[in-house]
Amino acid sequence: MTENPADTAPTGTTGATSEPAAGQTRDLSGARDMIVCEDVSKWYGDFRALDKISATIKEQEVVVVLGPSGSGKSTWIRCINRLEQHQEGRIVVDGVELTNDLRNIEKVRSEVGIVFQQFNLFPHLTVRDNITLAPIWVRKRPRAEADAQAMALLERVGIPEQADKYPGQLSGGQQQRVAIARALAMEPKIMLFDEVTSALDPEMVKEVLDIMKTLALSGMTMMVVTHEMGFAKEVADRVIFMEEGQIVEQNTPELFFSNPTEDRTKLFLSQIL
Amino acid sequence: MSELSSVTGNITIPYTPPPETPKLPPREWVKENLFSSKFNSILTVVSSILLLAIARGLLSFIFNPERQWNATATNLRLLMTQAYPESQYVRIWVCAAILLILTSVSMAIWRTARVVALPDLGRRLLSRGAILALLTLLAPFSGRATLIWLLTAAVVAGVGEGLRRFTNDDQATTTLTLLLVTLSGLVGSLWVVPYGHHSFLMDRTPRVLAEPGTVAMTTKLPWTIMLLIAVAAYFLGGFLRERLPVNATRITVLLLWLMAPPFLLYLVLRDPSFEMGHVFGTDIPIFGVYAVLGSALLLWLSRPSTGEAGRIVAALVLIVGCATFLTPMRMIVRLDMLLLAAFALAAHTFSGGPRAQKRYIFGWLGVLVVMSWMVTAINTPSTVKVPGGFFIGGLSLTLMVAIFTIVISFPLGLALALARTSTMPIFRLLSTWFIEFVRGIPLITILIFFSIMVPLFLPKGMHLSEVTAVVIGYALFSSAYLAENVRGGLQSVDRGQHEAAAAVGMTTAQKTIFIVLPQALRAAIPPLVGHCIGVFKETSLLAIIGLFDILYIARYVMPNQTEFMGSTKENVLFVSAIYWIFTYQMSKASQRLEQRTGLGER
Ligand SMILES: Nc1ncnc2c1ncn2[C@@H]1O[C@H](COP(=O)(O)OP(=O)(O)O)[C@@H](O)[C@H]1O
Ligand SMILES: [Mg+2]
Repeated sequence: MTENPADTAPTGTTGATSEPAAGQTRDLSGARDMIVCEDVSKWYGDFRALDKISATIKEQEVVVVLGPSGSGKSTWIRCINRLEQHQEGRIVVDGVELTNDLRNIEKVRSEVGIVFQQFNLFPHLTVRDNITLAPIWVRKRPRAEADAQAMALLERVGIPEQADKYPGQLSGGQQQRVAIARALAMEPKIMLFDEVTSALDPEMVKEVLDIMKTLALSGMTMMVVTHEMGFAKEVADRVIFMEEGQIVEQNTPELFFSNPTEDRTKLFLSQIL
Repeated sequence: MSELSSVTGNITIPYTPPPETPKLPPREWVKENLFSSKFNSILTVVSSILLLAIARGLLSFIFNPERQWNATATNLRLLMTQAYPESQYVRIWVCAAILLILTSVSMAIWRTARVVALPDLGRRLLSRGAILALLTLLAPFSGRATLIWLLTAAVVAGVGEGLRRFTNDDQATTTLTLLLVTLSGLVGSLWVVPYGHHSFLMDRTPRVLAEPGTVAMTTKLPWTIMLLIAVAAYFLGGFLRERLPVNATRITVLLLWLMAPPFLLYLVLRDPSFEMGHVFGTDIPIFGVYAVLGSALLLWLSRPSTGEAGRIVAALVLIVGCATFLTPMRMIVRLDMLLLAAFALAAHTFSGGPRAQKRYIFGWLGVLVVMSWMVTAINTPSTVKVPGGFFIGGLSLTLMVAIFTIVISFPLGLALALARTSTMPIFRLLSTWFIEFVRGIPLITILIFFSIMVPLFLPKGMHLSEVTAVVIGYALFSSAYLAENVRGGLQSVDRGQHEAAAAVGMTTAQKTIFIVLPQALRAAIPPLVGHCIGVFKETSLLAIIGLFDILYIARYVMPNQTEFMGSTKENVLFVSAIYWIFTYQMSKASQRLEQRTGLGER
């Protein structure tokens, strides 16, 4: 519908009546399955953090995961690149099933980028080296090529002048942008974002969200855990609501925000909006 | 507001320097820091009295006419190198020159010199002069000596005051210039100041020669040459820094530093008499086979596309390497096999394009050359013949054992620490057992065990000198403690770092080498340097197993010389001063290293 999706303005709270944003106009039914979760369960000791999660995420789809703190959002997202191991069920990422086989894990990890709440940049390396390290040693790229790519990425996230600084010298927003560039340098097919703006000062949230929006528009498959409802309404193709390790409800953003079916979802939305 | 904040990355705020903390004039500084309260004043007075009393005691000990400082002066050579033969002495100077060249070149390449503002220097000289004057007044000097020392103090303080008055903060010099001036002064004084000329004359009846005048030509000439060499090497280093890519030069210099100890010890000091027939007939062919076949294997393994088959082959090489110990064969064959296994296992981690592969193969060849050469050199008898067991003693032995122990125990300790924190239960178990076992045994026991027992257990045809055996034992002991220090550093690395590294697809080895170890070692610098200082000082236990380290010579050898009966006190004081100089330098180096790597910033 919209010819230039970037111009679509966030229109505030009335989700259903707002101008449909980029994502919602897309028909993804014919697209490939990128992430398939079937009855995924995970326990920490006796505590069940994930309870039979089933969901399929298509290529180019942008999924926002919502839920109260402790509902298992991070656990789920971290299972997808095996930072946590699930104990039951199946997770298939781009046709590769996650098992204990090391080769599969390394393959999946180099195709799935993740950005953390706490940035987790390597403090002893410059911004440039943070970005080029994995392409050089994991993807086996020549250094010159990796350097050029790093500069292009820094250009894309808007901080090319910071290339030779150390992470400790950057603001939170800049650090998070470097973290996104670092993940993108591996040219992943899927990007996972775990509350990437929660540790940022309010004035830096926008600069990071803007980059994520551009990324979504470029066709990246994304799973985003966030508390930024504006982002969810504007960018998401689908919203998944979790509580106590279960998927309670999932729907398009308009319907999810205007017309939630479950009581728990209503309660959550009433608290957060 | 949000318009503005979204471009914060590009806004440049004009730089405003922080307000200067005003420098207090001396009197107010003293008042604020030493006499701020009644209690504080009492503390200051009491500790000053105590300090003065101690200084006075020490000075009256040192300058008591009963002291036989002659003993130290005469025995300097004994203390430094023990019975190293006079005719071969030039080798010692060659070693010293090589170390000096490396030091100077490194100083130039790493730009260690710092800027010192002249007024600061003046203040420092002024206080030094005052302290010197105070000490002179405390010491029980004769009238003339007091006068000379007071005069010196006055000159130092005067120069300081002059600098303080007539220079400003823009005028500065570097620590390097100061070092050069100090060293030139010291070396120059050898030619001018009548320190006296002390030596043993090995006549039919050995006797002590103590003449007035400057020191012997065999002392002052080499030191002068050393100074000139050091200065020349510094300029060479500066030249290299300008002309060559800095990183490559630094890596080369670091490698040279690593190679220096074995090279100096075996080729220069020991002068092995290689039996060329054996070298050409056995050593070189073995090296050649490993070089060619090993390179071919590694070339295949370091291709990114090799994959799973590579890991299996590497594991096979390791198994073969371990199996070689079950059948009789040359030690070098076994060691090379293990080395090849290590390179094969790591090949996947460092694989890459043709350039990365070439670098990896060169690394293998380099290590292989060093290994072959070391084993050949160790198994070759020395031409240097000395009375007693080993061709080196005194301070040289102390330093040598300390350096080798530290250099060997470092990789060992790292490996142990990594094993102890690894996810593989078998590694964890072995490492924990080893560490706890070694830490449960006193060092002396280990030294005695290794000096007496290990040579008995060796396979036929292999010889280890007592010192080598002891260094191996000491390194094992030290590595257990080192491992615990490194483990502390490893635990201080945030979990998020592990996750971030894993998330970009790094293998465990890559994660460890590029992410975890650099941060862990940085955090572990203070305890690691503390450990090195400990290793250096504990070499004094060598005396117990009959090696002539510097303390043993001072404590038992010199007091038994007929001329210097009972000179123990002086000797031990002198030796303590030497120990202190070295350990203090290590401490300073540690502080500088911490600053450089930015510990405690973040
Ligand atoms: N490493 C862990 N060990 C034990 N419990 C954990 C661990 N990580 C998370 N949990 C628990 O699992 C639940 C889900 O956590 P998480 O996925 O981080 O929630 P969310 O990201 O939705 O806030 C929480 O109750 C948390 O306490
Ligand atoms: Mg979370």
